[in-house]
Amino acid sequence: MIEISSAVQQDKIIALLNSYQEAGVEFSFKEKKGINLYFETNIDDLEKAAKLAKKAIKGQTWGSILYFRVIPVQ
Amino acid sequence: MNALTAWLERYFLPIATKIGSQKHLVALRDAFIGTIPATMAGSVAVMINALIRDLPPQFFDGYDGNTIPIIREIIEINGYVWNGTLAIAGLIFVFSWGYNIAKAYRVNELSGGIVATAATIAGITFSFSGGITGLNLDQSTIDAINEAGWSATATEITAGGWGWLPLSNLDANLFFTAMVIGLVATMIYVKLMLKDITIKLPDSVPPAISKAFASIIPATVALYVVSIFYFVFSKFVPDMTFLEWIQKTVAQPLLGLSQGFGAVILVALFVQLFWFFGIHGPNVLAPILESVFGVAQITNVNLFQQGGAELVISEGYKWVRGSFDAYSWFGGSGGTLVLILAILFFSKRKDYRTVANLSVGPGIFNINEPIMFGLPIVLNPIMFIPFLLAPVVSVSIGYFATIWGFVAPVSQQVTWVTPPFLLSFLATGADWRAPIVTLVAMLASFAIWVPFVIAANKMDATLEENKAS
Repeated sequence: MIEISSAVQQDKIIALLNSYQEAGVEFSFKEKKGINLYFETNIDDLEKAAKLAKKAIKGQTWGSILYFRVIPVQ
Repeated sequence: MNALTAWLERYFLPIATKIGSQKHLVALRDAFIGTIPATMAGSVAVMINALIRDLPPQFFDGYDGNTIPIIREIIEINGYVWNGTLAIAGLIFVFSWGYNIAKAYRVNELSGGIVATAATIAGITFSFSGGITGLNLDQSTIDAINEAGWSATATEITAGGWGWLPLSNLDANLFFTAMVIGLVATMIYVKLMLKDITIKLPDSVPPAISKAFASIIPATVALYVVSIFYFVFSKFVPDMTFLEWIQKTVAQPLLGLSQGFGAVILVALFVQLFWFFGIHGPNVLAPILESVFGVAQITNVNLFQQGGAELVISEGYKWVRGSFDAYSWFGGSGGTLVLILAILFFSKRKDYRTVANLSVGPGIFNINEPIMFGLPIVLNPIMFIPFLLAPVVSVSIGYFATIWGFVAPVSQQVTWVTPPFLLSFLATGADWRAPIVTLVAMLASFAIWVPFVIAANKMDATLEENKAS
């Protein structure tokens, strides 16, 4: 699982990652706790998943100004 | 808080997104970032010179690094590094600027950089002149000087020459002119490229050649338009170059404005506001932080290289980009290293103490994501006031300490991950008073954070009581 901490644009992050499908990597939204969003992923390398999620968010026009954090969690 | 977030997303974020994703502003930010390899290398050279040339005389009478073998050679080598970096920082920037504009429009980036550089340099004076009066020259000396191409009379010498690019036109002084001319020239080039007004070569021609040929017409038009502008400008304003005019009418007033207490506080406040609401403050405010305070910093670094701290104090800017790092953003924006200490001293909350323990290491190097999101500070109502107030107070302390001459202005570019006290010491060209100012600013911030950390204890206790009942 990965944890994304973002105060704003949470709906857009969820929509983006739920539809993410690149190089066989997928995410699915699990739950929201305050500013934290949790996503399951289909790969075992959570560090890689966190990096891909971060890159995908930063690649969006709305994501380029966000201050957020993505970390792997068990 | 949900209503506030919704309001932000509906009304504020679209504006911030527009600013943060506006092609030219993004290109401007990236242009400044692109110069970092050169400006940091130059800053390292100036800093080493500060440590081996300028710092020791403060403690050892008669020390002169320029006379000590090895030290002397190192100083000289650092001079070469400076020549190729900070001495021509504006020139490096203008290439980066044109490159990034072209990149934003997905046209040949290399040609974009070249067009911006050529167009900006086209308006720079290639000649110099100067003179000495009050002399008493004999005839043979006068004849020799006149024969050499300068002009001499019995009482004065007027020296002039052509074929020289003055460094004062290529360093930080060039930035504002580069921003204007570089933008205009590159945009003309970009628009013509996008309209496909280009020379087309057969597919059999190698890509590098066909790309360069495709840029010929747009680049030529851009350079001619800018050159015609310079020509017309010189007819209306014959006494100064466009660069000198921009410096006088735009750059100096703007940089002067940035030195006011209100402007400094406003920037500090806005950065905090952005962070608090989960927006990357320095990213959105990069056009101001880098193009105003960043340019002021490069000016100070160059002044330091030329005349040490004394020249910076007499002619430099008091508050520059690195001043925020030195006196306010210890541990990251918000001065969160102090919050970590306040938690470790006063917090009784297990969750706070766990996050603080995990955040100490990164915090020493001014990385504050663990505390910002772990506590969290972002969108945490109880943290709102200290997160905004503490940096305002610490910036004020650093500002007035510098303005009143208690500490030298920041004159070195130090990477932001340098630990707090060392950062301010190095940033001020090894002024031993700077860490003391940082300490005072930290203590003031500490005093602001502590009541809120204690209040958070009480909030936690209340929650526990509620649970128990």
